[in-house]
This record gives sequence, C-alpha cells and structure tokens, in this order.
Amino acid sequence: MTVAGRDTLVVFEAASLAAPMRAALDTFVRRTAAVVAEEHGGSLELARRITELHRIPDVIALADHEVFPQLLVPAHASWYADFARNRMVVAYTDRSKYAGEITAANWYDVIQRDDVLLGRADPVIAPVGYRALLLFTLAERHYRRPALAAVLEARTPPRLLRGTAAELAALLAAGELDYIIDYESLARAQGLRFLSLPPEIDLGDSALDSTYARASVRVARGRDSVTVRGAPIMYGLTVPREAPHAGVGLRFVQFLLGPDGRAILRAGQVDALDVPVLRGDSIPSVLRERTVPE
Amino acid sequence: MTRGTAHRAAAMSVMGGALILLALLVLPVAALVWRGGAEGVRQLGSDGELQHALLLTAAAATSATLVVMLLGTPLAYLLARNRMPGGSIVAALVELPLIIPHPVAGIALLLVFGRGTPMGAALARAGLGIVGSPLGIGLAMLFVSAPLYVSAAREAIARVEPRYEDVARTLGDTPWRAVRRVTLPLAKRGLFAAAVVMWARSVSEFGAIVILTYNPKVASVLSYDRFTAFGLDAALPVAAVLVLLALVPLLVLRSLRSEARATTSAP
Amino acid sequence: MIALDGVTAHSGDFALRDVSVAIAAGEWGIVLGPAGSGKTTLLETIAGVRRTSAGRVRLRGQDVTTLAPELRRVGIVYQHGYLFPHLSVEENVGYAADARAHVREVSERLGVDPLFDRPVASLSGGERQLVAVARALAPAPDILLLDEPFAALDPRRRVRLRVELQRMHRERGMTVLHVTHDFTEAGTLGDIAVVLEAGRVIQVAAPSVLFRKPATAAVADFLGADNVFAGQVTRSAASGMSELDTLLFEGDGIRLTGVGTHGGGQGHAVIRGEDVVLARQHSMPSSARNVLEGTVAEVAPQGVLARVTVAMGAATLVAVVTDASVRELGLARGVAVVASVKATAVHVC
Repeated sequence: MTVAGRDTLVVFEAASLAAPMRAALDTFVRRTAAVVAEEHGGSLELARRITELHRIPDVIALADHEVFPQLLVPAHASWYADFARNRMVVAYTDRSKYAGEITAANWYDVIQRDDVLLGRADPVIAPVGYRALLLFTLAERHYRRPALAAVLEARTPPRLLRGTAAELAALLAAGELDYIIDYESLARAQGLRFLSLPPEIDLGDSALDSTYARASVRVARGRDSVTVRGAPIMYGLTVPREAPHAGVGLRFVQFLLGPDGRAILRAGQVDALDVPVLRGDSIPSVLRERTVPE
Repeated sequence: MTRGTAHRAAAMSVMGGALILLALLVLPVAALVWRGGAEGVRQLGSDGELQHALLLTAAAATSATLVVMLLGTPLAYLLARNRMPGGSIVAALVELPLIIPHPVAGIALLLVFGRGTPMGAALARAGLGIVGSPLGIGLAMLFVSAPLYVSAAREAIARVEPRYEDVARTLGDTPWRAVRRVTLPLAKRGLFAAAVVMWARSVSEFGAIVILTYNPKVASVLSYDRFTAFGLDAALPVAAVLVLLALVPLLVLRSLRSEARATTSAP
Repeated sequence: MIALDGVTAHSGDFALRDVSVAIAAGEWGIVLGPAGSGKTTLLETIAGVRRTSAGRVRLRGQDVTTLAPELRRVGIVYQHGYLFPHLSVEENVGYAADARAHVREVSERLGVDPLFDRPVASLSGGERQLVAVARALAPAPDILLLDEPFAALDPRRRVRLRVELQRMHRERGMTVLHVTHDFTEAGTLGDIAVVLEAGRVIQVAAPSVLFRKPATAAVADFLGADNVFAGQVTRSAASGMSELDTLLFEGDGIRLTGVGTHGGGQGHAVIRGEDVVLARQHSMPSSARNVLEGTVAEVAPQGVLARVTVAMGAATLVAVVTDASVRELGLARGVAVVASVKATAVHVC
C-alpha cells in the first residue's frame, strides 16, 4: 500500500522499545519520505498477531529473541538478528517503602518484608515474567541463600501479576506497587529509580552466558510446560517472509543496525550491540556485509 | 414507476438494510460459536480456570448491575422528572464514562481509589483494595456500564406520564408510595431492558478491568491471555463458551420482560 | 369551600394568571373556556398537583397553598381517566387507602362493578371514564374536581353518570368543580359558572346570566350563544326522563320546537346565530320546525360575515350570515324576512 506515492512501513515493536524505535523511525522517515504505522504490545502478543491473525508487518522487533525460533522461524521468517542487550533491574519510586534503604546488596531481603508489595509479569505470557524467575534462581546461587528463589517467587501473589511490563510500570507509578522486576530500558524510559544488579544475575552480559545457562524455570505452554534456560537478554528483529513492503523494511533494518541507528537506540536507553548477530538462513546480503553471521 | 412498485421497492430496501446489519452482527458471533463452541463446552467440565473465570464474570456483572439498579434508579427518576438540580449537566456527566477509552477508565479509577490516595489507602487497610480483587472488577464494570443503565432507565421512567403519579397522590399516596405503586411497575419493562444492557456490557468489558485486576481472571482476560500465550485455538473456546452461557440469563430476562409487557401496557 | 386568591401558576404551555374564584360549600361550579385557557391547570392547582407561583389556595377555610396533594382530600377526574394500567378495575377503584369501605357502593351506583376483574386495557373509553369517577368518589371526598368527565361517554351513560353525580352531590353535600366546553351541560348542572380565557377569569355568574349577558364579546363568541330565551319547556310525549324527545318551548315572546332530554318545566332555549337561516319568503315545504316571520332591525357587517338582528314582535332573533347573502337578498333595515331554525339547532337546557 502506498500513500500518495510514498512508501509505507508497518512495524511491530515490543513495548520496551517504543520510545527509541519511535526516534529511529522519525529519523528514517525524514531521510526516505516513508510513512510509518507502529504497533506495540508484549513480545508474545505481537508474534501471535502474525501466527494466528495473519497480520504481517514489515519489521518486527521483540524483547526476547527466543520468540523467533519458538514461533516465527521457519514458518514466517527465515532469519533474525540479535541487535540489543537488556538487563533485569529492580525498579521503584520515591514513594516505595524503604526506598531510602534498599541497595544492590540488600534488595532480596528488603523486598521480602511483609509490608512490601512486589510486582512482576506473568511468566506464562511475558518473557520478562520468566526472566524475573531466572533472576531469582541466579540470585539464590549468587548470594548463597538456599530457597531464596522460591521465597521471592511467592512474594508476588496472583493478584499482583500483570500481563506486560508496561502495566507493571503503570501500577508502580500509581503507587499500587512498591517494587517491580523489570527491564532496565523500561525503567530508564519511564524515569523510574532502579537498582543495578550484579551482572552474574541480571542476564545482561553476553560473556556470562554459561553462568546464566545454569538456571532454568518451567513455564506452561499449552498442555505441557517448557523448560526455559537462562540466557543473555537479547532483543531480536526480522523482516517476515511475507512482509508487504519487504524492501522498505530491509532498508530500515539496515539503518537501525548501522551507526546512526545504534546511536539513536543508545540515546533511548537501549544497549545496542556494536555488531549484530544474525541467525537463520537466507540472510539478506545487505545485512551480511555489516554483521557477524552465526 | 407505479405507486405499487415504488412501495415494494421502498419496503425491500428497508428489509435489505435491516438484513445487512443483522448479518454484520450475527455472523461474527456465529463464527465464534461455530469454531470454538464444541471445544469450549468440552473444556467446561474439566477446566477449573475456565469455570472460575465464568463464575467470577457472572457474579461481578450481576453485583455491579444490582448496585447500579439500586443507586441509579432514583437518579434516573430525578432526571426523568426534571427534578435534578443542574439536570442536563448531571445527565451529561453521567454519560462521560462512555467516551473514555477503557484502559484510561481503569487508570482513572486508580487515581481515586488506588492505594496512593487517602480513600484508597483506607480501603486497602480495610481489605477492600481494588487492585487485584473482585471488588476492582465490579468497580470497573460499574464505571463503564452504569451510564447505559441510567440513560435507559431515565427513558423508561419518562415514558410513564407524570399524571399517573399526580392521580395517585390525590388518592392519598405520598410521593414515594406513588412512585412505588404506580411509576415503577409501569416502567418495569424498560428497567429490565436497561439492566440487561448493563449486565451484557459488564460481561464483555476488558480494558478497564485488566488494569485493575489481572488475577483473578474474568472470562475476557482469560480469553485474551490464552490467545497471547497459546494462540487462537486456545482462546476461541473460552469466548465461545462465554457467548453460549451468557445467552441463558439474557433469554431469561427477555422472557420476564415480555411477561411484564402483558400486564403493563400503556393507555 | 374552595377559594383562590390571586393565584398564578404555570403548567408547561398553560398558565393561570392572577385568578380569584370562590365556590361555596355544596355548590356545583362550572369552569368554561376555550382550549388552552387554563381550565385543567385551575383544577390541578386546587388538587395540589400543580404548584402556584403566587397567590393563596383555601379549602374548607384553611390555607392549603403549600399542603401536599395527598393531604388535601380532594378527588380529581381527568379527561382521559388515567386509570392505572397495571391494576384491575377493582384495584383501581379501591386504590385510595380510605376507599376500601365504599368501593362496592360507589361501583354499583355507577354501574362499574361488572367490570371489576377486567384489565384496564380491555375497557372502552366510556367504561374507563366511569371507573375513573368511581375511583375518585370511593374515598368519599367532600370536594370533587371533574375535567370534562362526560366527553367520552355515549348519551345513555352520560345521562346516568350525570344523574348519579347529582344525587351524590346532594346526598353528601359535595362541592363540585366541573370543567366543560359544553354549555348544555353547564346550564343543566351548574350553580355558578367561571369563564377562563388565556389564564384569566373573565366572568363569574350563574349559567343563565352568563348566557344572557356574556361579559365580553369573546365570552359570547365562545359560548356561541347569540340567542338565549328563558321560559317553559314541555315534552311532547311522556316517554321517560332519559330519552330524546321533541320539546316545546315558550318564553320571552317566542315559541320554539327543539329536541333534547329536558324533563320539562323551567328552562332555556339557546340558538346559535349560525343556525338561523334567513329568506325573503317562505320556502315550502321545509324540514325546519321553526319558521318565524320578522323584520330586519339591524345589519352589522363583520368582514365576510354579518350579524343580522331580526325583530319578531316581543322577541329578537340574531342570525349570522355571509356578507354575500346580505347583498344578494338585499337585507337592510325594515326588510321583511322569514327566519328558519331546525329543531335540532334549538338547545334546550
């Protein structure tokens, strides 16, 4: 579809990418006179729009690159690229209880206190949800506290679970929660206070992937459950095979993965990789030149 | 064109238009039930989460409707009889929640009843917090659908001529007795219809509820959840069963309405 | 018994302006006036269902201006009855708390007891009206307000209701205020008549006085009574009080044949000017029972019409004819004419 001779670009992006992607798209549009339509949502939700509703965007960028091999490759896409890191943090506001006390050294004790309300996402439907559980498991090993993971998991009763990180942040801002386990990019984007955690547990350092892999959680998937192993959090993107404007989509991906795109992402608090990692088959030649293939 | 042909053409276009709209409304619901109905009914017997969601939805919608009938009927009466000070402004205010996008409505409720406010803090201390509770579900349902009840109830009461109340008063009734013995029975049919509309709207609400209460899950939240996590095939049965079960009370209420109609026709 | 003093009230499009009226205990008052003159509003103000913006209302010597209607013990019957559609006839009649004791009696007298189990929707207009009257009378009020109660009734029911109301009025000493636009009714029933126009009281007088001496041309116009004679009425055949009969009237220097239900004795004969046909000579034979000879005394043009006053001995007859007829017939002072009036146009009351 073109609008009066201008190219159109349809982009699905995870909520935690919203602000930086907006900025990147604005710049791209100025250079190419394209028209953009953005859709936000949770990573899984966006993937479902492709697989279940057959609504194919030109670019899809998600907060969990695992979703690509799980749902999208090879049926809807043949390749995908890891392009940015993220890490888990404990986010809070000035109004949170014990905000003045909490540090990277005592967070796992403070959030256990009876009067503290801790929120996290539902592991079944949001990657950030099971990553919180992985964080707890890694913390148990790192701080040498037996059973810490189970205790922390139990600190969030079902009524304080939410389907997306964005909703958690909204409740935190409204004062309904004291602390949430969230992505650093979202905490920065929303101006929340947050604790940086030891890299051994925050899933943010690709050099520590073997450390992370020692933790695993079981997550329900349909009638069964799946074991998810800890891995560095990677943002992934692709241009789906049936994208209506694949050409424009690829040009945008080129831009985003290039130096200008990386600068914009970093300015938006997203930790862009210097060298994106491409995975899968039939990687477009234009991207192959600039990147390290798997 | 002869007059007869012109009449027939007019009649056909009226019927045609009606059928188009009917198709637009019925076909998607029929498709939903067709694709998910059988599986949904099968799941109903064994899926505890589904059972809970349906019960919770029905209970919350019914409670919200009853509360609004109790508090909204007097308001509707005052508006209908033009006895509400600032009447038209009040009527407009009552309808405001209808135009607020649903997630925004949920946030608006948080701004008043959330823990961060004095009222909300007191509620939370009393165990009546609205976040993550059935109370929050009922509150969200009430907020988005009460305007529908009040508007329709107001119309139903306005259709009962004030003169009936006047006559009752000259026969010795106090204003309250006149309303109770004459106006409300005569408005019964319209009030039922208003309640049905409100109940149905409550059952279908998603956006306002999910902000306040994700767990425990109402049917709409469950359906969307299953879509996100497991795909269409998991979501359709939930939606289809909701439609099938909602038909039961809707039909019951409609038959009560036609009973009421038989005894209260206007002069 | 009923006294309004400077009452002003508004009811949608209708209003009363500075109305002062007094009806004595036991009187039967008539309220006359064109549509929109405030007649119903007047009744509503007395019953208390319409608030006054100025003035005072007194009932039984007590100031009730701010008293709620349920405490005024006034019965009111609206023109459309307003029976409660969701209740049966018996429940309607027995609606008022103090009605229970009298339901049977009143219903039997008005002939509505056979209707008791019927739903309101199945009643005819006339039946509804009777039930509405029964409902108002059941709690035995001493003040009764009627808004065109006979309008929906067939002649037989109309007479029966009128007779019963008159009886109850006498027996109970009720004070009645009765709105009508039918001046035959007014003449038969009323002790005192109040004429309203545009919310104001134009005239208050006994009906006979009203008809003979309307205070304004507007009243006369409304009453349409150009010719009113007082005298004696005789029934031509003795066939029971409630049936239509040929009536012979003699009085005020004129003899007339009319049709009506008058029982005989003293009464009035009323003829509208529009009902008088003028000719230069007799036309024979004609169906008009009243053919009178006279001389034109005066011709008063009124646009396309003209009022022609005809002198016939001691009596005067006013005819309203078209201007064209005046010219074609050459009607002028002194011209001899023959005036014809059908018996059905002679209202005897």
